[in-house]
Amino acid sequence: MDESEGLMNEIFGAFPFIAANFGMLMEKTSEHMLISLVPLLAAIVIGVPIGIWLGHIHKGEFLAVSITNIGRALPSLALIAILIGFVGIGMLNAMIALFLLAFPPILSYAFQAVNSADRDLTRAAKGMGMTPLQVLNKVELPLGLPMIISGIRTAAVLTVSSATIATIAGSGGLGDVILNQVAYGIEGVLAGAVWVAILAILVDQVFALLLRVAAPTGVKQLRATTV
Amino acid sequence: MTHSSTDPKTTSTTNSSIVFDHVTKLYPGQNAPALDSLDIEVKSGELVCLVGPSGGGKTTALQLVNRLVDLSSGDIRIGDRSIMDIPAIELRRTIGYAIQQSGLFPHYTVAENIAIVPNILKWDKSRTTRRTVELLELVGLTPVDSWLGRYPSQLSGGQQQRVGIARALAADPPVMLMDEPFGALDPITRMAVQDEFLEIHRAVGKTTLFVTHDIDEAIKMADRIAILKPGGKLAQYDTPAEVLTHPADEFVAEFLGAERGLKRLALTTVAEVLVAKAEPERPAESDLPKVEADVTLREALSVVSAAGAHGARVMERGSHLGDVTLHDLVDPPANAVDARNGEGVGL
Amino acid sequence: MSGIAPAGDPVIPDYGQASECVINNGPFCGDWFVDQWATVFWPPLVDHIYMVIIAVVIGFVIAFAAALIAYRKRWLAGPIGIVATFLYTLPPLALFQLLVPFTGLTLLTVEIALVCFTLVIIFQAVLAGLAAVPEDVKRSAIGMGLNQRQLMVKVELPLALPSIISGLRIATVLTVSVATIAAFVVDSGLGSPILKAVSSPFNTQFIGAGALAVLLAFVLDGLLVIVGRVLTPWMRARV
Repeated sequence: MDESEGLMNEIFGAFPFIAANFGMLMEKTSEHMLISLVPLLAAIVIGVPIGIWLGHIHKGEFLAVSITNIGRALPSLALIAILIGFVGIGMLNAMIALFLLAFPPILSYAFQAVNSADRDLTRAAKGMGMTPLQVLNKVELPLGLPMIISGIRTAAVLTVSSATIATIAGSGGLGDVILNQVAYGIEGVLAGAVWVAILAILVDQVFALLLRVAAPTGVKQLRATTV
Repeated sequence: MTHSSTDPKTTSTTNSSIVFDHVTKLYPGQNAPALDSLDIEVKSGELVCLVGPSGGGKTTALQLVNRLVDLSSGDIRIGDRSIMDIPAIELRRTIGYAIQQSGLFPHYTVAENIAIVPNILKWDKSRTTRRTVELLELVGLTPVDSWLGRYPSQLSGGQQQRVGIARALAADPPVMLMDEPFGALDPITRMAVQDEFLEIHRAVGKTTLFVTHDIDEAIKMADRIAILKPGGKLAQYDTPAEVLTHPADEFVAEFLGAERGLKRLALTTVAEVLVAKAEPERPAESDLPKVEADVTLREALSVVSAAGAHGARVMERGSHLGDVTLHDLVDPPANAVDARNGEGVGL
Repeated sequence: MSGIAPAGDPVIPDYGQASECVINNGPFCGDWFVDQWATVFWPPLVDHIYMVIIAVVIGFVIAFAAALIAYRKRWLAGPIGIVATFLYTLPPLALFQLLVPFTGLTLLTVEIALVCFTLVIIFQAVLAGLAAVPEDVKRSAIGMGLNQRQLMVKVELPLALPSIISGLRIATVLTVSVATIAAFVVDSGLGSPILKAVSSPFNTQFIGAGALAVLLAFVLDGLLVIVGRVLTPWMRARV
């Protein structure tokens, strides 16, 4: 009886904590978003064009697959820890680590998006006299856009999620709250966890929405997979 | 194609006719029936083709027989038993079923594919093996040993279709349902597999219902043709020759196409014309083009026309049987056509 | 922090003679790695393997059952998929912490969370595999008189195997990676030596444990590839 009562107190204690520490949570959230979004943007800016280009010339399948596999196998914790040794403590460390995590899915989805465009369609487009650039712009990209966005979505959730661990490199963010029971108590830990969970789901849903908008009319909605 | 009217058609003594008795199928959510009060009888050992444009309900008619689709009203009887009196799964195990794309299990070898129904019927191993070997020989996949262990992906389309037929025959079902089985094959393979299947059909005498959208295939294969029109109504049910000479209505005539007359000529061989002609002339002159005895009038006409001649010498294994005139080809004696036109069992 | 971890400043671990590499905290000191293999790396590696296998097996059982149900009752596919995706989206660390009040700082907490992450991947893989079984194969199977169970066991599941295996591969690799985060909850798995070395920070321990995790992921992935090949001989049969 006592035990379950204590449990309830802990869980419901999270909500008063959020109310009482809203300002602090918002501050941590903005840090969190900063260390997630900067590497995400960098990965998009670099990964999407490379992926599209490789897909367009139908080369680098092996590279794309290998990068995906390695990216998936690379534990974020290990990555951040290793970077402590080379980059030191701080935001830069976290950003580099998160960039390395975000890059593989973005690159490989962009590659697949363009590479898997129906060859009959691209051949027909060429046959009508389109230049390679026009084939890319008018056929491959519009059809591949949902998949490119899926890759960004996967990467975005991954970075927001992994940014919680970046606190061990002293880079701030919501991980500071989740992993600091000494300072914030169990209510604080739970509040931070709930908060970051909501943040991840929000980010995921924003991209889900974008995906719905991006799918060209007439193309069957690509089922947004998180895998 | 040599057809002899004396071949005993039915090897099994039991009645395995398929009777459609006022069969109607209305799919839920649609206001017009897919099949509208179909009344046909497929006699034991007969090969009947269901033809018609898409939307004519021919596949529906087929799938009603093995209860892949449920009847809305009417009844279908195999032999004297209503299919509704037999549990669907049990019923299906007694009906051979071959479809377009072969439907072979890609993860089973040729031998395993053929053994599917024998295995669910719990035949003993040696019987299944014997049957498998026998069937592969029947469909011409010899030497059998080199085919048993292959997967469908290692076979050509024609070979897959042969295995599909062997599989359908595996448990020796009295009735065969074939849904555009040769639809995905190229024309040359298709012709070859059609010929082989006709031979098999003649050998095993299964009552066969055969769906095709290709009227030429139907004319070639069928004892009788059932032509369905949009809305699932039966337009005509008769022998190929009768359908070609006396189309029941505008729809059938149009469906048969402008070459209906030529198609009719494909039903008769020059040998049959020679037999029908009381006293074949045997002039010594030899500038006429030669044709083999088993070619159809249509093919002979093509040869004659190409040579600019007015007749052809009919040859069989190098010896001269007699001559046919251009007139014989274009307007064959009625009894030559009738030779394979009687009662639909006269293949 | 346990005694085996190098602690404090300077970086020199306090046992025996330290090599040049260890004193300078070089990127990777092979000698130290070999010396400490039995105490620092091997036990967490074994724990890690157990953690991953248990999670993937349980996750597979649950996701597989859910996928079969969703395949039969199509309307369930949506709701189950949404729940699984929701669980997948939660940051691992947050999920661990949210479970702690219920199940404590235990291996159970870790396994529950790890299982949650495998669910969506395996669920989608099984469902996609079943959905991709060619219609003509199913139709001829039913036409030959296979019943529902025979259709599932003899046709649908074998043909879904390649997709199921590839789902298992992704789930396994991902679980190896996420399981390092379990070290925040229990002193177990390859995340444990990493976390212990953070305060120093000692490179060889980071890189050693991190590399072992990556290596483990590839080995398990390779094993699943082999299992897949053995189970699907027809996929390799070509003319």
